[in-house]
Parts: sequence; C-alpha cells; structure tokens
Amino acid sequence: MDAVTPSRKTMTLNLTEAEMKALDDLSVTKDISKTAVLRQALRLYQMVEARMARGEKLYFEHDATKQKAELMVL
Amino acid sequence: MSTKTTVYLRNAKTGEFVEAFLIDGLARPDIEKAEADWKPFLSEQVKRMEASGIAKHLLPQHRHWDWREKYDATEGYLAYRMFGIECQAQMQGLLLVTTAAKNCRIASQAGKPLVYVHFLAAAPWNLPSITSEPRFSLTGTILLGTAIQLSIEEEFQGRIGLHSLPQADDWYKSSCGMTDLGPDPAAKGLRYFEMTPDQASKFLR
Repeated sequence: MDAVTPSRKTMTLNLTEAEMKALDDLSVTKDISKTAVLRQALRLYQMVEARMARGEKLYFEHDATKQKAELMVL
Repeated sequence: MSTKTTVYLRNAKTGEFVEAFLIDGLARPDIEKAEADWKPFLSEQVKRMEASGIAKHLLPQHRHWDWREKYDATEGYLAYRMFGIECQAQMQGLLLVTTAAKNCRIASQAGKPLVYVHFLAAAPWNLPSITSEPRFSLTGTILLGTAIQLSIEEEFQGRIGLHSLPQADDWYKSSCGMTDLGPDPAAKGLRYFEMTPDQASKFLR
C-alpha cells in the first residue's frame, strides 16, 4: 500500500535540558521518535485549546473511583 | 487539501479488479455526496428488510451513522483523519481515525500508541448482508489496511484498535486477525479489538 502521510517540513527546536529529558523519556516509554512525540503533543494541544475556547473544561476521571479532577488542579 | 492514490476494488459480480481512488483529506461536498448516495439506498433496503419480517438485530447496525456530523465534529483537528474510496464517481467506503491519545491495552503492547479506528463503513450497496447483489468487495480491507499503513507512518508499527458493532465482530477477528479483548463497558458493551505489529504485518502480506 502507498504512503498516506502528506509531505513534511523541517524546523529546529531549542529545548532546555529538563524539556529535552522529558521528551527523551516519553520517546522511550512510547517507543516512538522525539519528532513523533511532539506531533502527538501538538494534536492534543490543538484539540484541548479548541475545546477550552468553546468554554469546555478538561477533566481526568479515575477509572475505579470515577472521581473527576480538573487538569492542573492539585 | 486532498490526495488521491490508486487502489483496486473487486467487482463482486465478475471478480475483476476495478481501479478506484483512496482519498485522504475529504472535503464536505465529498461527504455530502456520499451521504446523498448512501442514505436512499440504505433506507430502501432497511424498509425491504423490515417488510420481510427480518429480526431487528439483523438490520444494519450502523444505519444511524451520519458522516456529515462526524466530518463537522472533526474537521480542522490534526488528531483526526478521514479517508474515502471513490470508484465510478461514487464513494464506496469511508474511514475516520484518530492518531493521538489512544494507547494499546493488549499486554505485550500496553501503553504504546495506536491508530484508533472510530468509524469504518462500506457503501450500503457493497454489503452482502443487506443486498443480494453487492457491487464491490475489498472496500473494508483497503480501509483497514489504510489505518495500518497510517499507524506504520506514525511510528506506531501497525498497531490499531477499534470498538466493533456486533455484526462486524467476526470480520475483525477471523478475517482481519485482530485480538478480541472482549466487551468494553465504557463503550456501550461493544467488543474492543486490537492489532499488534505482528498481526498488522500478516494483514498487509
């Protein structure tokens, strides 16, 4: 089957050591390249931003307890 | 912007291969035309089946799917991709997938990303379950293969996942070789299927 991914463009990214470590860790955990991790992050960020702009909130729900917590609230 | 790739469907009557196009990046008019072609045919077949007294669970379980609604809900989001197969100026099948935030559940791949197949449908006139003379076969196979190909290009190694309607359970399990992880209470009890890199490789052979 032929490729289904559109052509891509290149950019240089400057990260702090901590940011690079986080990116490295995700890359290892998810078994994908750092570029693929950033693509995943961008897709999620775009969707979250669009939904928050519509007045929606982002929650995490605990699978067992069904307890909901808003993102970033400790 | 959409791109077209040549694929081949099989004429269900003659067995001959017919040139078709896999379209990546469908526009709303494409979806509107598909719905305008599909809906009357599907309604007619459902009416015929109901008139013949067929049991309700044998009616096409995806008959309520509204692809315009799905297009509007996902258009512009990088996380979603919609594909279609066009042949003889009609849409023969549609596929909606997401490439973000879905992880494998199967033990050997747990936590690794996959392409999640939200919706996959062949045009109603291609379904042997509702018409005695289907026009084309291989639509579902090509669309599932597209999801796998996308998974490979996303570095997910061919891993895909989906919730199946009961009428399609056997196809995903037996014909496609996916692993059945059982009913998912979080998805109205639909069975959840996954494909590992090995299974994907076998499917594409």
